[in-house]
Amino acid sequence: MPQTPAVPETEVASASRRSLRGLDWFNFFIADVQTGFGPFIAVYLTTHAWTQVEIGLVLTVGGIIGLAGQVPGGAIIDAMRGKRRVAAYAVGGIGLSALAIAAWPIFPIVLFAKVLHSAASCLVSPAIAAISLGLVGRRKLGERLGRNARFASVGAGFAAALMGAIGYELSNRAVFLVTAAFAIPTLIALAQIRAEEIDPARASGVSRIRPPPEPQRRLRVLLENRPLVIFAGCLLLFYLANAAMLPLVAGLVTMRASDSASLMIAACMVVPQIVVAIISPWVGRQADLWGRKPLLLLAFAALIARGVAFAMASHPYALIAIQILDGLSAAVFAVMLPLVAADVTRGTGHFNLTQGALGTAMGVGASLSTTLAGYLADTFGGAVAFLGLAGIALMGLLLLWTSLPETKTDLPLDHR
Amino acid sequence: MPDKLRFLTIAALALSVAPDAVFALAGPGPRVAQSGSTAPEAPPPDKGPASTNEPPKTVLEKEESQGILGKTVRDSAGKEMGRIVNVIVDRASQPRAVVIDFGGFLGVGSRKIAVDWAALRIGADKPDQITLDLSRDQVRAAPEYKDGAPVVVLGAAGATRPLPGNGSEKAEP
Repeated sequence: MPQTPAVPETEVASASRRSLRGLDWFNFFIADVQTGFGPFIAVYLTTHAWTQVEIGLVLTVGGIIGLAGQVPGGAIIDAMRGKRRVAAYAVGGIGLSALAIAAWPIFPIVLFAKVLHSAASCLVSPAIAAISLGLVGRRKLGERLGRNARFASVGAGFAAALMGAIGYELSNRAVFLVTAAFAIPTLIALAQIRAEEIDPARASGVSRIRPPPEPQRRLRVLLENRPLVIFAGCLLLFYLANAAMLPLVAGLVTMRASDSASLMIAACMVVPQIVVAIISPWVGRQADLWGRKPLLLLAFAALIARGVAFAMASHPYALIAIQILDGLSAAVFAVMLPLVAADVTRGTGHFNLTQGALGTAMGVGASLSTTLAGYLADTFGGAVAFLGLAGIALMGLLLLWTSLPETKTDLPLDHR
Repeated sequence: MPDKLRFLTIAALALSVAPDAVFALAGPGPRVAQSGSTAPEAPPPDKGPASTNEPPKTVLEKEESQGILGKTVRDSAGKEMGRIVNVIVDRASQPRAVVIDFGGFLGVGSRKIAVDWAALRIGADKPDQITLDLSRDQVRAAPEYKDGAPVVVLGAAGATRPLPGNGSEKAEP
């Protein structure tokens, strides 16, 4: 770090060990809470004699709220001084939602709970990034985000294993009770973070030295921010290519493996989490050494390779091995989305709003992905679907390569 | 009860024709006991001729009948295969197939497969035990059930056949 002398160390050293540990475990437990709300909710409602139409309706409404709420969610985190408190309300809302779904699996309650969960989730990811930036500052953000990703993926892997076992041994309702119960350690971990150590201005990307633009101009500043718009396009293409791959592969495993299919699908889900847990701190450090662009190119290359490999492989064990590539690109994007958002919004006070905008691009890509891949798989077969997704990833790689400038800048005085 | 008939009520059939879907959802699981329990109270109020516009009522014992939507289906070896998510009826309102959400882990990777109604076996002593005359290996590679597309029904013998055009009945006069 050649520029170390230019930045006062006091800012960076301000976060206590207790706060950083709290943030670690907050990442771990929130991932546990969110696992129960995945595709599993459809299985749970099926056991309560819900029809496919009703399940589809609830999931669609939740998906729309989850997309539309990203930008407002980010704006709320930007505007509120108490980032930790907003995060606590969001976790409380998600916990209540899980409890309501477990207790009363009837249409109005579940619909309301899903809306509550989707809206609260829009606050959680920007809140985590904001607390991280507020605690450690820009200079250590990459490393911190890598650590966040490590704890989140260990949490998600642990939760998938635990909830799979609970669903199998006990009942599907117990899965949602456990989900709700995980909200408690999540809140305890959050309480370990000392609120006074989160610099609210820094957590929103406000610079002390450079004044932010007037409120009316802020949104235009974002839209005219070329690197931001291109990065959003890259994210959309990445998730358009990425999101359907696991479900498509899991369907193939169900078709091809006889007895151990469920176990193999579990492996396809857990292997990437293990890879993320191992490499994400390294990704965070390299992002500061190499810059963001080489790692993003690597993530796209891994996604292309994965699509091509899935199109050719047939043995279930080969499919699981290919999922290592998923871990590589997932680790890069978990670190890069907040990091690039922090890069391009320096001094605007719109760090979290920008994360919301990027989250929207990601969500649009992901929700179109399954439809597109399903159509390709039905019409042309699985291999063509995987190659089509790889082709989309290639477009993303080209856009990134030709148009996205390196967003990492050497840090002048105002980046604390 | 004098009723010697063995009925299997299909909650899904009721769902597809009657608007009382909310009623079926109100309980934790579809139980015929809901409709069965109201029937015994019905006879005392009417006195003979008043029942001309009253539809006849049949009581189905709890052990004799059940709703099957959402119920677990096992293979002949007793291993869990998936859950019933839909029932396919033909134009003569006869049940033809059940759609099973098969396999997967935590909802990822499951496939919806239509299985012949005749392949379904309800446990003789335990009506809750629903089994299929098919093995996992026979079911896993079957074509997926798609709403709006012709239904490919997996038969008990393992042979697949399309639903339309099969069977004796032609619904059109």
